[in-house]
Amino acid sequence: MKRKILVNVVGVLLAFLLGAVVMLVQGYNPLETYYRLFEYSLAPGKIAYTLSKSVPLVLTGMSASVAFASGPINLGQPGQLLMGALLATIGGLYIDLPPLLMIPFLLILAMLGGALWSGVAALLKYWFNMSEFITTLMLNMIADFFTYWAINYPFFEANANHPQTPFIAKSGWMPEWGNFNSSVIVMVLAFGVIWFIVNRSTAGYEWRLSGQNSLFSRLGGVNISKNYLVVMLLTGALAGLAGGLVVMAGPHRFIKDIGGNYAWDGVMIAMVANSGIILTLVFGFFFSVLQTGSLGMELITAVPKELIQVLQAVIVLIVVAGRGYFETFFAKLEARRKMRERIA
Amino acid sequence: MNIIIGLINGMITSATPILLAALGGSLTYYAGIFNIAMEGMMLGGAFFGMLGSYYFHSWPMGILFAILGAILMALIFILFAVVLKMDEFITGIGLNLFSVGATTYMLRQIFKVKGAFSSPEIVPIPKIDIPWIKDIPVVGEIISGQNLIVYLTLLATIVVSYLVFKTRFGLRLRAAGYNRTSLDTSGVSANRIRVWSLILCGVLCGLAGSFLSLGYVTLFSEGMSAGRGWISLAAVILVSGNPTGIALISLLFGFTDGLGLFMQRSLPSQFTSMVPYVATLIALFVYSVRLKKKQTI
Repeated sequence: MKRKILVNVVGVLLAFLLGAVVMLVQGYNPLETYYRLFEYSLAPGKIAYTLSKSVPLVLTGMSASVAFASGPINLGQPGQLLMGALLATIGGLYIDLPPLLMIPFLLILAMLGGALWSGVAALLKYWFNMSEFITTLMLNMIADFFTYWAINYPFFEANANHPQTPFIAKSGWMPEWGNFNSSVIVMVLAFGVIWFIVNRSTAGYEWRLSGQNSLFSRLGGVNISKNYLVVMLLTGALAGLAGGLVVMAGPHRFIKDIGGNYAWDGVMIAMVANSGIILTLVFGFFFSVLQTGSLGMELITAVPKELIQVLQAVIVLIVVAGRGYFETFFAKLEARRKMRERIA
Repeated sequence: MNIIIGLINGMITSATPILLAALGGSLTYYAGIFNIAMEGMMLGGAFFGMLGSYYFHSWPMGILFAILGAILMALIFILFAVVLKMDEFITGIGLNLFSVGATTYMLRQIFKVKGAFSSPEIVPIPKIDIPWIKDIPVVGEIISGQNLIVYLTLLATIVVSYLVFKTRFGLRLRAAGYNRTSLDTSGVSANRIRVWSLILCGVLCGLAGSFLSLGYVTLFSEGMSAGRGWISLAAVILVSGNPTGIALISLLFGFTDGLGLFMQRSLPSQFTSMVPYVATLIALFVYSVRLKKKQTI
């Protein structure tokens, strides 16, 4: 356990060191830059905002983590997020309920939207054995164009300069207290449910087993194709939930590029977290710290905030490579120690 | 007649980058590498190609820089996947996102713009007119007057096909994918073959990238590879790496792309833009059904 934490921390530090070298080469002061980065996102007044911004990252990250840990290579989070956001927006445009009913209703719609889109990929695999790895990627592009069409034509706000929908009903806005958005509560609930399902339920045990060794679990009596469908729908729903919350907590309407880079960041978070649910939460928050802080970093030190995108990818590559490398390293140490004991 | 010529030329234009990247993917496919980094290599190539052409006011430098940029991406892939033995899938995804981030950052840092950069100082890759042939009606308008990269692509298809099936390197390449232990025991390092296949893949993806940023438009925009790397991956998987098959599949995708543009008269552009991706899904569908039939027989 300690070793695991050590590997992650060392990997992140190495990535920061590389980032510092890049900054030095370009004539920036790395220490000040990093200080501003963390100051802007972790200051007492700011941390609630950073937490609120971590919601889509953690949710898409969990979606990818659960999928990768259980076998299906669901890379469709970007598309599922958009479809979830679209369905929640449509619900918010045409239906108005009291907030206590409205918010759960829209969240369910968002999850349905995401599950619908991952369900397409799941059924293509189930019926025709088409690899979800490629189909989800293609469905991402299709969802991208489809939602863009939807906000250009049927749900277009007249008089707007660029494609967007009108505001959703006020009752569907996630309540906000200062910088703290209540979407964080939804995220924590989702985290609790997913953690429980994966770590404490029979279904989660079967998923993890199939992810490790699908043949073994099938011989052990696990219904692989049923589990596959359930995992795909669940992970799609998680990504869709992220999309719904982005709309309901943020601009309260569907604007162009609303999905941003959340979903691909989520995939990266799942990879760097080695598909562990708790680590996904940790890294999701950490990536949010980087992204929120990048704004302050750019304001004060003039280092472009795009640097953070590079840093994220470098963190993923180094931490994952380091994990493998350290494991072999420790195994070697262990073997050498045993050898010495034998000789003695 | 003009419509048909337009369709065919559109098909060639959209097929070219996909075909080039897919040929690179074919080499790594035979070497047994699960290489999904074509997207990132292509994007890196597109950015560096634009950079080279802009600074040296010459398109050959543009092509050279594009190839070097894509090789740089390939080297990162080699460092993590071959040297550090990291999972190829994670390396690929990480590299693709690194490529998006790095090109966006450099675009901002070097040119002080967000989104896209275009300048009259970027020299495009020229079109080649073939004497005699260009005067033949219809055929001349298709065979002659294409971009230099298009002819290079044709050449690359033949070269890759020859390389894989008729040379010693090709034999070792296929051996590296088929049974790397037996290749290693016969005294040839499988890792070295894998490294070379990745570098060659970088060269081809660099060419594809230069076609994107210096071919018919002279600009670079964020994420301009727009999923072409993924489509080329699908093409490689569909024909199990065979270069000739890849050429045919790429032309088919190119055709659907041109068809999409043609349909824009009657459909919103968002739907016609989906066509190549839907076509990929349909191609995968046909492939899977055929595979199933084969298995039941």
